[in-house]
Amino acid sequence: MTAVMVDGLIKRYGGLRAVDGVSFEVDDGEVFALLGPNGAGKTTTVEILEGFRGRDGGQVRVLGMDPADPANGQRLREGMGVVLQELAVEPFLTVRQALRRNAGYYPRPRPVDEVLALVGLEAKADSRIKNLSGGQQRRLDLGLGIIGNPSLLFLDEPTTGFDPTARRGAWDLVRALTGGGTTVILTTHYMDEAEALADRVAVINSGRIVAEGTPQSLGGRDVGETRIRFGLPPGRQVSDLPVAASSVTASSGRTGTSGGTGASGGTGASGSGGQVEIRSDRPVEVLAALTTWALREGVDLAGLTVERLTLEDVYLRLTGYRSGPGELAAVSAEGDSTR
Amino acid sequence: MTAVVEPRRSAASYGRMIARQLYFEQLNFWLNPLAAVFTLGFSVVFLVLLGSSAGNSTSSTLGGVRVIQYYVPGFLAYGVMSTCFNSLATSLVVRREMGLLKRLRLSPLPTSAMLAAICANALVISFIQIVVLLLIGRLGYGVHMPHNVGALVVALAVGAAAFTAIGMAMSTLIPNQEAAGPVVSIVFFVLLFLSGLWYPIKPHSGLAQISSYFPIRHMIVAVFAPFDSRPGVSGWAWGDVGALAIWGVVAAVVAARRWSWAPRRTGGGPSRPATRRWRG
Repeated sequence: MTAVMVDGLIKRYGGLRAVDGVSFEVDDGEVFALLGPNGAGKTTTVEILEGFRGRDGGQVRVLGMDPADPANGQRLREGMGVVLQELAVEPFLTVRQALRRNAGYYPRPRPVDEVLALVGLEAKADSRIKNLSGGQQRRLDLGLGIIGNPSLLFLDEPTTGFDPTARRGAWDLVRALTGGGTTVILTTHYMDEAEALADRVAVINSGRIVAEGTPQSLGGRDVGETRIRFGLPPGRQVSDLPVAASSVTASSGRTGTSGGTGASGGTGASGSGGQVEIRSDRPVEVLAALTTWALREGVDLAGLTVERLTLEDVYLRLTGYRSGPGELAAVSAEGDSTR
Repeated sequence: MTAVVEPRRSAASYGRMIARQLYFEQLNFWLNPLAAVFTLGFSVVFLVLLGSSAGNSTSSTLGGVRVIQYYVPGFLAYGVMSTCFNSLATSLVVRREMGLLKRLRLSPLPTSAMLAAICANALVISFIQIVVLLLIGRLGYGVHMPHNVGALVVALAVGAAAFTAIGMAMSTLIPNQEAAGPVVSIVFFVLLFLSGLWYPIKPHSGLAQISSYFPIRHMIVAVFAPFDSRPGVSGWAWGDVGALAIWGVVAAVVAARRWSWAPRRTGGGPSRPATRRWRG
């Protein structure tokens, strides 16, 4: 069963298309992350799903309902829970009072004591909200998001501004909450957060979805390029390398292209300041050629590392990040990172 | 997810929802005793100070009436205005910028019930002030009670409704919560001064003319009239009550057109302040 269906969604602000043809589906019980830089259109998309904003085009179904239809508003809001970026509770109420008040808005709320236990605030139940620590307030926020026993939970950048320990705690909590089969739509600009929590990720940039998949396979991560790095041996040129010889452009520019058709197939290599980086989708062949060459020449490949693209690499490439001068990797995706 | 069709909400359950929300509004108000005492106590302190310093002097502007007889209705008007305009506008801006309005908007509580409870809360606080001020005037200064209770109730009710609408409209004109207190206070106190709260101003004077373009003067006159025991005065100040009603309607239209549930400057998204409006 599909919890959320979005097809060709468009939202304009003046002349700007903040959301420009976004489509995705989220199944029941799935944790779906919308990943993207600030201003990419994440929040606007989520606000349209929540029924908070209207849309200018496309189809949207949330829990089987069109959120733009006011006739659905009540039933939609009874079925969803929302955790916003900032704590939004009257500071003078106690934790229990705030939960009790919000529980009354829903037809089938979770018991207040159950939610207190879930978010670990039993000991603080009768404390004023203003006296809670930042992390405790955040946990209350999550508690308020689930008090209505929602079948769909929106988490809007749930750990922005957290220290690493608090983030792990929040993730554990989200996992515990979602273990019960709640569908979750998460927005974040943290790669590790999407990797830790999401079943599926969509990267959104300039109002468009530029990639979608599991965190493990996003952007061809599982089958795509491997990055091989090492220091150029003393006295050797980039052109001496067996791989680079067939793949580096004649200029000594920093940017390698993958125009080569030699033994290593689609391979890009670049060297700068003695460091060489090679990206290849056939790492075994490249390494064999490189190490054979090094042994024969009697040189060392200092600091040799072999790694898959991280989710962050994929993300940066998809969102059009261009590295500054002096950096090795120059990656680009179609379109600019216009804000 | 269930496909059960929810029963249509009855008027009684809608009323209970507002009452429940009002309970939590009141709880939130009284759990902040400092703010509660200041909100309620401001008018009381001013009345006592002015009453103590000018108690038995009389005013030629008002035809020889004791000044305190003017101050009691003046501060009744002040209490209602400060609660429904000053406190309401400030608290709405703070709630909007904190994200409280957005969060409630995303809950199943109908927004009409939420706004009704916020307004009802202002009315309850106004009513408490009215009772306290009347008691102090009667017991402390021997002020006579209004000879036309109906006119007083109408003036206070129309005034409270009008200033609630003006407070809501005002909240839509203020960009952020830091500005809310100062902006509202300056507007309010300048107009209070021009409108003759601190001393009676002569009808048809230049000041009276200027202040008649603003609602505060009408509120003070409309609330004073039922206390005015000079011969031939009915206690009904229909012109002023009518002016308040017009202000209220205009303000309600402005509030509805400019209303925003979302914070104006915080939060993600590419939207600019001018487009961050949500009409509902």
